[in-house]
Amino acid sequence: MAEETITLEKTTEEPASKQKQWQPSILAILCNWCSYAGADLAGSARLQYPETVRIVRVPCSGRADPMFVFKGFQKGFDGVMVLGCHPGDCHYAKGNYYARRRIALTQELLKLLGIPPERFHFEWVSASEGNRFAELVREFTDKIKALGPFEGVDK
Amino acid sequence: MADMSEIQTRIREEAGKALESGEVGVVIGWGAGSVPFKTTPVFIDKAQDVEKLVWNPACTNNLAVYLPKMARDRKVGIVAKPCDIRSIVTLIREKQVKRENVFIIGVGCAGVIDARSLENANVRLSEITSLEWSGNDLIVTTQTGTSTVAAADSLREQCKVCDSRTPAICDAAVGDAVPRSEEISIDIPGLSEDRKAYWAEQFSRCIRCYACRQVCPACYCRSCFADRVEPRWTAKKATTQEAWMFHATRAMHLAGRCIGCGECERICPVGIRVVELARELNAIAKDRYGFDAGNPEEETHLLGSYRDEDFDPAQHSE
Repeated sequence: MAEETITLEKTTEEPASKQKQWQPSILAILCNWCSYAGADLAGSARLQYPETVRIVRVPCSGRADPMFVFKGFQKGFDGVMVLGCHPGDCHYAKGNYYARRRIALTQELLKLLGIPPERFHFEWVSASEGNRFAELVREFTDKIKALGPFEGVDK
Repeated sequence: MADMSEIQTRIREEAGKALESGEVGVVIGWGAGSVPFKTTPVFIDKAQDVEKLVWNPACTNNLAVYLPKMARDRKVGIVAKPCDIRSIVTLIREKQVKRENVFIIGVGCAGVIDARSLENANVRLSEITSLEWSGNDLIVTTQTGTSTVAAADSLREQCKVCDSRTPAICDAAVGDAVPRSEEISIDIPGLSEDRKAYWAEQFSRCIRCYACRQVCPACYCRSCFADRVEPRWTAKKATTQEAWMFHATRAMHLAGRCIGCGECERICPVGIRVVELARELNAIAKDRYGFDAGNPEEETHLLGSYRDEDFDPAQHSE
C-alpha cells in the first residue's frame, strides 16, 4: 500500500513539473523586407520577447509555400506563423497579394485537416513595427502555452 | 432521350469520321472491360477498330489524364463525359494542351456507377451481364433476370452531387444530359467530429503507391514534390506523418484546379477518401473568390490572380 502511494505521488507530480519546463516551439516564416526587418528592429531595440520562435527568412511572403507550413506541423512545431508586408507595401509590388489568397486557403485546409486554427497565425508586420512583432510573438506564445504541446498530425 | 446503345453508335460514328478524315491520329475512349461492370481505356488508331468503343454506366475513367503527353504535338480525339471535359478545360487553361490539339466527343451523362455501392445494394457483381440507365434508375441485367437499382444506391459519390451533366465545350455532342432527379446527400463519416483523428486514421492506411496522383488529370507535373530527394518534402516510408504531408500538399496543389471527378478516390487501393479535401477546399474557393475550376469562362487561375478586395486572413486570424 505504502509503495503504491509513492508511485501515485510521482505520477501526479511529474506532469506538473514538465508543464513548468515546457516551452512551445514556434516556426515563423518572415518576409525579408518587412517582417524580418521588423524582427531585427525588435532585436536592436532590445525588446524582450519569448525565445520560442524559430525564424525562417524568405524573400517575400509570396515565397511562403504552404508546404513550409505543413512541414512545420508535420515536424511537430506547436505553432506556425507567417508574416509579410502590409498590402500595398510589397517590395515586389504584389507578392503579398498572391500570398494573401494562398495563405487564406492554407488556413482553410488546416481547418479541414483538423489542425486547431489557433496554432496558425498570419499577420502583416512592417519594418518599423518592431514593437508589434515582439507583441505578436508574446501573444502567440501565450496562446500556444494555453493550448499545450501539439500532439502531432498522426494522432 | 437517346438510349445508351444509340449513344454508343453515335460515338463510334464520330470517332470513325474523325479518324477517316485524318483529322485525328488516335481516339481515346472506353472499351469493354474484363467484366461487364468495368471498362478499360482504349486507344483507337484505325477507323475499322471503332467497334471497340463502348458507352455504358461503367465508363468511369477520366481519360483527360492521357492528354498532356499524347496531345503535345498532334491532334488527339477523346471521348469525354462532362466532368472529363472540365478537366480538359483546366488543362487548356494551364497550357498543358492546346485547344486545337483535341477533338472532343462530348457525351451527355447520367452519372457512372460505383461497384462497391452496387454490392451494398445486394447486386452480385459476378452475375451482371449488362448495365443501362433508364432515366435516373440503373437497369441491372444478370444471368437470372433484370432488376432496377435507384441512383442513390448505384452512383459514384461525385455523380450524386454533380450539376454539370452537359459538355461545357466539345467538337461533337452525343446524347443528352440526364438531370439529377433528386438531391442525394452524401455521407461523410467522421468529418464533423474530430477531423484530425479522422484523417490520421485515413492516412495511416496509405501505402504511398501514388495511384491517386497517377490517375489525376491535374497531376501532370513532370517532377512531383513527392519524388524530390533534395529537398525531401516527404519521405518514402509509409508512416501516417509522411502520408499526411503528401496528402495535405497534394490537396493544396489541387486548390482551384481539381474538378472533383473522384478518380483518386476510386483508384485508391486502401479506400482513403482522397478527393474530400480538394472538394471542400474548392467549395471554399468558389464561395469566397467565386472561382469555379472547370468552368471555361474562368479567365485566370485561382492562385495566380488576386483582387484588391480579397479576403484578408490577417484580420480573421484566430
